[in-house]
Amino acid sequence: MALLPEEIKPAMQGVIPSDVVTCARDGTPNTTAISQVYYVDADHVALSHQFFNKTVRNVRENPRAAVWLISPKTFDSWDLEVEFERSETSGPVFETMDMQVEAIASMVGMKGIFKLRAADIYRVISVTKNVDERIPLGEIAGGR
Amino acid sequence: MGAEGTDPLGLREQIAENQRTIDRLNRELAKKSDEVRIIQQISSAITSTLDLDHVLEIVLGAMDRVLGFQHSMILLKDPAAERLRLFASRGYDAPGLGAEVGFGEGVIGVVAERKRMMRVGNLGMSRSYLRSVRARMEATGQMGAVESASLPGLPDAQSQLALPLLVKDRLVGVLVVESPRPNAFDELDELLLGIVGNQAATAIDNARSYQLVEKLSRLKRFFSPQLAEAIVTGGADDPLKTHRREVTVVFLDLRGFTAFAETSEPEEVMGVLREYHAEMGSLILSHEGTLERFTGDGMMIFFNDPTPVPDPAERAVRMAVAMRERVATLLGKWRKRGYDLALGVGIAEGYATIGAIGTVTNLAARLCGEARGGQILVSARVAAEVEDLVETEEVGPLALKGLTKPILAFDILRLKSRV
Repeated sequence: MALLPEEIKPAMQGVIPSDVVTCARDGTPNTTAISQVYYVDADHVALSHQFFNKTVRNVRENPRAAVWLISPKTFDSWDLEVEFERSETSGPVFETMDMQVEAIASMVGMKGIFKLRAADIYRVISVTKNVDERIPLGEIAGGR
Repeated sequence: MGAEGTDPLGLREQIAENQRTIDRLNRELAKKSDEVRIIQQISSAITSTLDLDHVLEIVLGAMDRVLGFQHSMILLKDPAAERLRLFASRGYDAPGLGAEVGFGEGVIGVVAERKRMMRVGNLGMSRSYLRSVRARMEATGQMGAVESASLPGLPDAQSQLALPLLVKDRLVGVLVVESPRPNAFDELDELLLGIVGNQAATAIDNARSYQLVEKLSRLKRFFSPQLAEAIVTGGADDPLKTHRREVTVVFLDLRGFTAFAETSEPEEVMGVLREYHAEMGSLILSHEGTLERFTGDGMMIFFNDPTPVPDPAERAVRMAVAMRERVATLLGKWRKRGYDLALGVGIAEGYATIGAIGTVTNLAARLCGEARGGQILVSARVAAEVEDLVETEEVGPLALKGLTKPILAFDILRLKSRV
C-alpha cells in the first residue's frame, strides 16, 4: 500500500526520540519514549527489543499501537497507527539494527552487555501528518 | 464522495505532497546522476595508478569535491590481525594516521567485522542514551566501570556512513565519511559511496599487492621468481605466517662435476645432466619437495615451504637416501664412460623467516660442501628427528664458514630395516 511517504525517513533516524503508546490486555495504556523507530519498507517499521519492558509485553497481548514521529529536518510530525506483526532475530532488518546497537555499545564500553534481543516488526495501518502542529523552525540540519 | 472542498481524508493534500516528493527526488536524482558520471571518471583515475597513497588521495579528494563529504577516512585491514589502521584522512585538524581500530569497535569496527555498510545519524543521542543506561547499571552494581575505546575521527560526530571495502568477499579496509550534524547522510549517499567504494577496494588492493611485491622483491635475490611469487600471492592475507614456517633444506651437488665439465664435450655434459636432473626431479616430486634453485649440478630443495607437508625432515632424508641409490646406479654407467662423479648432500632444518632466510640454507649448503662423495651430512637437529629411521655416524665438530661455532654433523649411513 506504500503508506509511509519518502519525507518521513529523516524522522526514523533516531535524532528526535519517538513516542510509542500501547495498551495492556485490560486496556491500561502505556506511553514511552523510544530512541529510534526504524524504517523497514513503505508499510513496515521496526522497534528494537533490548529489554523486556511494558511495550514489548503489551503488544504481545494487544498488538495495536500508536507512534508519534518528528522530523529533525522540518519538525513536521506524524501519527502512525501500527500493529505488531512478528519478532525477528535474524535477517537484514535485525542485522542493520544489531550492528548499530553493537557499534554504539562498544563506544561506551558496553559491548556484549547492551545488545539487541530482537527486531519487532510492525505493520503500518495509517499515517497522518500533523500539518497544523508543525513547529515553524525551518531546516536545522541542511548541510553536512 | 469526493465533493469539492470537503476532502475529509486529506486526499488532495496527500496527492500534492506525493507530487512534491516526486519532484524533489527527480531533482536529487538528476544531481546525483551527474555525480555518478563524475564518479566514473574518478574510477578510471583510481584504477590507472598503482601508488597506494595516490589512490587514497584520489578517493578522499572525490569524497570532498564531488560528493561534499568534508570529513573522510580510509582504514586498511592489518594483514595479520582483526584490526584496521588509519592510512588516510581528509578534513581533520590532526590526520591521526596509524590509529588502530579493532574489529567490533565502534561503527568502523563493526562494519569491518560484519562486512556490511552502516549509516548512523544519531550518534550523539545514542551515546548519551547508552551512557545513562550504563551509569544506572554501574550504580546498581550490574556492571563495573569499563573504559570506552578511543576511536579516530571527529570527537563530536553525529553522523557516520561506513562502507566495507571488499574484493570478492575479502575485506581490504573501511571507507568512512562523517559529519558533526545529525542525519547528514541518506540512502542516495549510500548508493554513491558504494559505487566509489567498489572501485576503490580493487584499486587499493592492487596497489597494496604491488607494494608487497616491491617490498618482497629482495626475496627474489634469494629465491626463484616462482617461489617469490608464491610467497607474495599465497601470503597476501598473512605473509608472516607463510614465511615463519619451519623448513627443511636439502643441498646436493656432484663431486668432480667441475673437472668433468671442463674436460668433456658439451654434449656429454648435457647428457649426464639430463639424466641426473630427470632422476632427481622425479624423486623430488615423489617426496613432495620443491626444487627451489639449481645451478648445473647443484640443487636446493625445500620441504614444508611453500607447500606444507608433514614430517619434512623425514621426507628430506628419505629423498636423499633414494637419490644416493639412484646416483650410484647412474655412476656405474658414467664410470664406464670414464667420468668420475659422486653425489654429496647436506640437510638442515630451521625457521626460514624473511629477515633470517640465510641461516638454514647456509647451513645446508655448508654441510653439502663438507660432504665427501656419497655422504649425506645432516645437522644435529635433523639427525635427532630421524633417529628412529636411519643409522648415522657422527662427523666433526666442523668449523663451517658463516657459523660462529664449530658444529656436529651426522652422516646418514642407511635406512634402518623395517621391523
